[in-house]
Amino acid sequence: MVKKKLVKKVVKLVFPQELIKEPVTFKMAKKYDIIPNIRRAKVTETTGELVLELEGEEKNIEKGIKYLIKLGVDVEPIEGDIVD
Amino acid sequence: MYTKGLKCRECGREYPKEPLYVCEYCFGPLEVNYDYSKIKKKLSKELIASRQKNLWRYRELLPIDGEPIAGLQSGFTPLVKANNLAKELGVKELYIKDDSVCHPTLSFKDRVVSVAISKSKEFGFDTVACASTGNLANSVASQAAQAKMNCFVFIPADLELGKVVASLIYAPKVVAVEGNYDEVNRLCTEIANKYKWAFVNINIRPYYAEGSKTYIYEIVEQLGWRAPDNIVVPVAGGSLISKIWKGLKELKMLGFIDEPNDTKGSTLELEHLRPSTKIYAAQAKGCSPVVTAIKENNEIIKPVKPKTIAKSLAIGNPADGYYAFKTVIESGGWAEDVTDEEIVEGIKLLARTEGIFTETAGGVTVAVTKKLIQQGRIKKDELTVISITGNGLKTQEAVSSKLDTIIKIKPNLNSFENEIKNIS
Repeated sequence: MVKKKLVKKVVKLVFPQELIKEPVTFKMAKKYDIIPNIRRAKVTETTGELVLELEGEEKNIEKGIKYLIKLGVDVEPIEGDIVD
Repeated sequence: MYTKGLKCRECGREYPKEPLYVCEYCFGPLEVNYDYSKIKKKLSKELIASRQKNLWRYRELLPIDGEPIAGLQSGFTPLVKANNLAKELGVKELYIKDDSVCHPTLSFKDRVVSVAISKSKEFGFDTVACASTGNLANSVASQAAQAKMNCFVFIPADLELGKVVASLIYAPKVVAVEGNYDEVNRLCTEIANKYKWAFVNINIRPYYAEGSKTYIYEIVEQLGWRAPDNIVVPVAGGSLISKIWKGLKELKMLGFIDEPNDTKGSTLELEHLRPSTKIYAAQAKGCSPVVTAIKENNEIIKPVKPKTIAKSLAIGNPADGYYAFKTVIESGGWAEDVTDEEIVEGIKLLARTEGIFTETAGGVTVAVTKKLIQQGRIKKDELTVISITGNGLKTQEAVSSKLDTIIKIKPNLNSFENEIKNIS
């Protein structure tokens, strides 16, 4: 059996209020076989922010990110917008 | 010499002086860590005054170890006492810090790029790069040419050619990426991580951003070593506003500004210092993630899709948004946003009263200042500085259709006098 190549990707997730109580990161990780490693997190009354390192197959990470976006999570690069 | 290395702004972990920008533990942004006790022993107001009038007169507070090789004519732009505008807005003391005439490319970016290019050379890079649609590209291309470095400028492929001329003239390699904004953004980060180039606002960002501090050092020096009561600052990525706050803290730590309840000399920890200046964030309504966060008192910045004529401030996911938020809250300032119409009015108001033609970001700060005065947040008897960070000649399309029409006449005196009657 060919061992699949795993990649790592760092993302910042910003959750709207209605998703703060939902285990969306867990669902995404389970559904797409991704290992999420939480590096930093912050939650206020109305928003949640999570800096994560995702490890998995490249195409699964892409799918996982699309899944989060579809649910209403903002998925952003940690560098922010660099086109200035 | 005066820098110890880098330090994570989130977890405080320390790193060596290298082209790094993110903490490998918490992924927080890195910042230059200075040896302030050493700086305090060396730097004095007299020493600064004895130096040439450019941004390097504050060199101990900038992150280079050797001699600067860029920006030797950059900075020390005019601090204009704006009496006409003050009268119009109903305040006593109003100043314009005018970086629309910064050397060599007429924007505040010349400050940060001067530091980035000098530091990149020090690191041994032969190639500098940036992703930009405007002022940053102009400055990187210009200063790379002067420093004899290879230069790559990345732009979205749908950008009008006219916007690139002020960069192309310096003969950099301009790469047009066929993709939307997010795709260009992502690709540039990948390129920065793979190629051994100095990407000024990615892997050189901690050093680059320090150049912004010279903007406030100059203001304080030009006011006779007095900190203003208020400063209105445009916010794009959030770097300038947070570095203005850091710069003020440094000046306070050094004892260069005298303030009520002064704690000068008592600490070298900037975190504990609170200069008296109130900092106000200014954004366009079509892209105001930081203003929204401040008004909602929510330290998490929600990214937005920009839609505004103020292209130089159109950063929907500001890298330093949280630090911009923190700056305004700590200083006791506030934030406001203005519509595209108000921005144009702001540009016209500054031109009409002070003879300064600024770009859209300047329209934003002027219009926001007007709003803050009307709200009573900026008091009539306080000293206020409006930040003007770019030149109107670069964004003429923003105002060209909103100006008075030209008076056309026949080539004779009669025709002229007929028209003059109509005007008066």
